[in-house]
Amino acid sequence: MNIDRLATLALVCTLILTGCQHKDKRYVLRGQVLEKNPASSEITVKHEAIPGFMAAMTMPYEVKDAEALHEVQPGDLIEADVVTTNNQQEYWLENVRITDSRGRVVARPGIVHHLDIGERVPEFPLTNQDGKTFHLADFRGKAVLVSFIYTRCPMPNFCPRLSSQFAKVREDLSKIPEDYAKIQLLSISFDPKYDTSAVLRKYGLAYLDNDPAGFSHWEFAFTDPGDLRRLADAFGLEYFDQGDSISHTMVIVLIAPDGTIARYWGTRWTTQELEDALRQQAQAVVSTSFGAKGTAAK
Amino acid sequence: MMSLVQKLAAGPLSLATLFLMVGCSSRAENSADAEQRGAILFAMHCSPCHEAVNPQLKVQPPSLKGLFASKSLPSGAPATDDHVKETIIEGRGIMPAFDQRLTKDDVNAIVKYLHTLN
Repeated sequence: MNIDRLATLALVCTLILTGCQHKDKRYVLRGQVLEKNPASSEITVKHEAIPGFMAAMTMPYEVKDAEALHEVQPGDLIEADVVTTNNQQEYWLENVRITDSRGRVVARPGIVHHLDIGERVPEFPLTNQDGKTFHLADFRGKAVLVSFIYTRCPMPNFCPRLSSQFAKVREDLSKIPEDYAKIQLLSISFDPKYDTSAVLRKYGLAYLDNDPAGFSHWEFAFTDPGDLRRLADAFGLEYFDQGDSISHTMVIVLIAPDGTIARYWGTRWTTQELEDALRQQAQAVVSTSFGAKGTAAK
Repeated sequence: MMSLVQKLAAGPLSLATLFLMVGCSSRAENSADAEQRGAILFAMHCSPCHEAVNPQLKVQPPSLKGLFASKSLPSGAPATDDHVKETIIEGRGIMPAFDQRLTKDDVNAIVKYLHTLN
């Protein structure tokens, strides 16, 4: 037996032995986190097909790494390793990486913005809950907080959470009249086919304790599908119309009183952060009106 | 604590079964089948809000246990099948409308299941 044959035999034996062991198997998962359940160390992921393991679907996965579990948030796009053992009876996620829509790992989770801080926001005609057409430029001189929602969204950690948090921000700031006069909230629907002015009005009233006076500081609007896509691209919002629902990421944008981007939030924020940032911008307007030179602070 | 959706979706097989059953609505659906399908639809569409505590929501959606045992719904309307169906289809308050997501048969199945919740 020559050396080549010995080497071939050794390789075959190695492969057979390797194949006989109950080793962990790894597959790559790509998808979006819909829910996080710290109590059970699980995240529910709406994921693409995982060749060799599972079809595209939405299901919970355990994340054993406590730090990774803490980091990831509902709304994040992720890539991770699905580790299976014991003939796929057990499975969990490892190496959870937060990505942008092209699968690139991002340093600032959940935020994939195209316009940089300080850049001027694009202008598109928007229609509000009363059927009135307006532009973002109409809010010049005010700090504007923008979110994207759709009224049929059934995921409690997405649009209902966003709008609930906006409701709290508005309620809290309404108690500080000098700041309230200089702030504006805006929720833009990415479901213009369904979210007409009447639908948006009904939706908005649910978050305004049925008081239409609240619309003066929180408008709900839609725009045509083409402008919506351009606006979303400008703000780094990803969405996919799936007929009976819309998959989307979350972006909150703070527009400074001079019409430039002041700040982005992705999937993680607190109402306190939103309120502080809005008030900072609002107060910059006041100081400007009292004679300070230059534009409002960013 | 796992939600009902998560329990139902605890494994690839059970999840596949879940979707198969949801997709197998038929005109000749009997009462037991409708109730079972209603349970699955409830787990998918209702329990994420109505059976979970989410302090980030403006209003905590009410539990639907014993919904038909009381005379009135949480909204104050009479606890009738028609009012519940109307709420599911049109939405109410922060609850979204499900008219684009559920068929008439789906809504009937959910209401049938709600009657069993005590």
